[in-house]
Amino acid sequence: MAAAEEKLTKFTEESLVTVPFDVYRYDPAKGGEPRYQRYELRLAPHTPVLTGLLRIRDEIDPTLTLRYSCRSAICGSCAMLVNSKSRLACRTPVGPEVQAHGRIVIDPMRNQPILRDLVVDQQPFWTRYEQMEPHLILDPSKPMPADTPTRMSPAQVERFRDTPRCIACGACYSACPAVEADPGFPGPMALAKLYRFVVDPRDSATQGRLKKIQTSGLWLCLRCHLCTEACPKDVRPSERIRDLKELAVQAQGGTELGSRHAIGFLNNIEERGTLNELKLVRQTAGVGGVLGALPQGLRIWRKKPEITKAPPPIEGIDQVKKIYQALEDKKEGQE
Amino acid sequence: MLQHDVVVVGAGLAGQRAALAAAKAGRDVALVSKLHPLRSHSGAAQGGINAAIGKEDSVETHIYDTVKGSDYLGDQDAIEFFCQQAGPTVIEMEHFGTIFSRGEDGSLARRAFGGAGFPRTIYAADRTGLALLQGIYEHLATETIRMYDEWFLLSIIVRDGRAQGITLFDRKTSKIEGIAAKAVIIATGPFGRMYGRTTNAHSCTGDGVAVAYRAGANLKDMEFVQFHPTALLESSILITEGARGEGGILKNAQGERFMTRYAPHVLDLASRDVVSRAIVTEVKEGRGFPGGYVHLELMHLGKEKIESRLQEICDFSRTYAGIDPVTQPIPVSPAQHYMMGGIGTNMMGETNIPGLYAAGEAACVSLHGANRLGGNSLLETLVFGKQAGLAAAEYATKAGDAMLQPGDLDREAARFQALWNRKDGESPWAIRAELQQTMDKLVGIFRAPEELFDALRAVRRLQERYRNVRVQDQSTTYNIDLSDALEVGNLVDLAEVIVVGAIARTESRGAHTRVDFPTRDDQNWMKHTIARRTPGGPELSYAPVAFTRFEPKERVY
Repeated sequence: MAAAEEKLTKFTEESLVTVPFDVYRYDPAKGGEPRYQRYELRLAPHTPVLTGLLRIRDEIDPTLTLRYSCRSAICGSCAMLVNSKSRLACRTPVGPEVQAHGRIVIDPMRNQPILRDLVVDQQPFWTRYEQMEPHLILDPSKPMPADTPTRMSPAQVERFRDTPRCIACGACYSACPAVEADPGFPGPMALAKLYRFVVDPRDSATQGRLKKIQTSGLWLCLRCHLCTEACPKDVRPSERIRDLKELAVQAQGGTELGSRHAIGFLNNIEERGTLNELKLVRQTAGVGGVLGALPQGLRIWRKKPEITKAPPPIEGIDQVKKIYQALEDKKEGQE
Repeated sequence: MLQHDVVVVGAGLAGQRAALAAAKAGRDVALVSKLHPLRSHSGAAQGGINAAIGKEDSVETHIYDTVKGSDYLGDQDAIEFFCQQAGPTVIEMEHFGTIFSRGEDGSLARRAFGGAGFPRTIYAADRTGLALLQGIYEHLATETIRMYDEWFLLSIIVRDGRAQGITLFDRKTSKIEGIAAKAVIIATGPFGRMYGRTTNAHSCTGDGVAVAYRAGANLKDMEFVQFHPTALLESSILITEGARGEGGILKNAQGERFMTRYAPHVLDLASRDVVSRAIVTEVKEGRGFPGGYVHLELMHLGKEKIESRLQEICDFSRTYAGIDPVTQPIPVSPAQHYMMGGIGTNMMGETNIPGLYAAGEAACVSLHGANRLGGNSLLETLVFGKQAGLAAAEYATKAGDAMLQPGDLDREAARFQALWNRKDGESPWAIRAELQQTMDKLVGIFRAPEELFDALRAVRRLQERYRNVRVQDQSTTYNIDLSDALEVGNLVDLAEVIVVGAIARTESRGAHTRVDFPTRDDQNWMKHTIARRTPGGPELSYAPVAFTRFEPKERVY
């Protein structure tokens, strides 16, 4: 009790700090260049950024526009860049931002066209989500049980991990460099959503879903984990993408460049504890791929002639093999 | 001019369920929302959805609990239907793909909730609204429905004695449009933002209810405003009743479990009106914490239970109050949470205007009477959303073509121009801020006549000032200064109806507690308040309550 009270007294008596906001302003209809507008407020450090922005609107500048609704991190409306990081404005307190950066720079989310100020056009994000066919696909020969809920064990619910927490705010989409680099990449949210349906015991399209995603972007993920870092609900999209890759390889083997690369990598390490680059290229891209990579290979060979030789196994390769065996045993134990 | 058979305004659970029903019935359906549907406030519902599917439980008990919870003002025929539909509705949502929490045997997990005789609240951790919203939205994609995301309702057109469609504008461009429709369904949710201390989202401004009221729809039982006992201090973010359902207890500053005094049998799980009054009484009598709050303790439940079943609550407490419920009590006090009142409908969602329907929190069937039970509102959205969708679809097959007139749009364009052209008017936020202070201070849990009259004067002054409201932002792209102005106008008009109803009702029933009339008066007040708009303000009349099997008794928890 004492602790809670202490904290709250701290809140109510917490001295206000000056918070300089530099807010991105741009109205394409009016033309001109985007600019940053400075607003200063006196706020308690635990005040959410959203509260600050709404006070700016109410008290200083009614022309500032943004999306917001629930103010409790459940509607997903107010994702934006807070000091360059994709965040929900309603769950980012101003204090630590000012402490770390001296000010709070607010930009609209990345990877989506800007409509005005902090409002972006989320259509690309929604479209990619819809492309995952995010609804149960049922096998007509196995209808839902009549008049009763499907049985689902707590362990089966556990398999969804934290994907049901997703509020579709788009922070992950904004943070994702693969989205920026490749319009063919569905983005972290869409893939986390796909995972949610792939592991759903009620869904009968698992194989089809995995097959389809293997050729439509799954292997484009850069594994940078910026999505997981950005997610305000701890959905951990990058980990679910990793799970999808595993499931896809288990189900369909190495059918894609990406999956063959992953399998080749795995085998290489198991064999020697290090990469045999030539072999890895062959495993990933096939003989044709090796031929295609020949000019690049020659350039590397001039500087590093040992590239053509298989490297010797590393010292302690026995330990590596033991790790592989342990993982294998664990997997069997789970199944 | 756009044209559809059925237009649904509001894309939370009720609106989506209505749209689904009407589309499945083969009608051409438009679904309009000022937000993206997944951003609807239904998603903020935490605790769960009631259905008497347990072996020891019965539909009968659910009916009785709801009737008793309503302080006998709920219509028993509607409540019977509602409770009978509960099981099939939850099962349907499960089949649509909703991910519910499960018991060890794989069945739907259930938890205890306030005012319920059995643990009958089915849940998805403490984000049941989000789970249902995702479930229905994702299922909706299997039907053809025309979505108007981020379009804002301006008016309902009633001509030749029936609803003929709506006018609205696209928030992305501010372009005003009309949708001619044979049937219009209003499912725009609550209007809690007339209060400052509210668990409601910023978007809960009663747009559909206010617009329907202006179009001639009757509003019902508006004076009944539910205050949720446990909102987080300062931010008023909801802390679900499920926290008490899982075993959480309330304590005052003296460390007393004070609910023993107010509800000796069910303690912390009494009905919401009872618990809210208890907290306010504790604080008034000096047993609250400085600043006027009490503690909700979860610590004894243990880290694992708290973090798995009350995951969002943990996050909210840590983020917004800086406390960890695993080791510290949560500071809570009551905040406006739910509007029992709304557009008056029957069990088919029909209003007094042919072709106009309402469902969900925007409507008043009435199920909840003077006080809603936790876990019944999510169920209401789905049961009566479907009813309204079916009724509207059927009406639309028979009704002649609906027509709008150019004047319908011109009127709205002129309104926009007036808002934009005013050079020295008032800002929407100034009016909203004063409205919220007025409602917080004068139209709360305990209501005194002189305070209610003060509130009425204040609200009418605000209506007057609203005539001079001004939109400073001249942009036509996503202009929230403009939508704020429209929303505040809606809130002010609905606040007037609430206050007028509260002044008239000289008794205490459910959530409506008059300090000068502390008891329930079945002789004179066992009736619904009906408010009709006139130029001089709301005109009240009264309608009987439907009884089927339960005679009014004193309510003891």
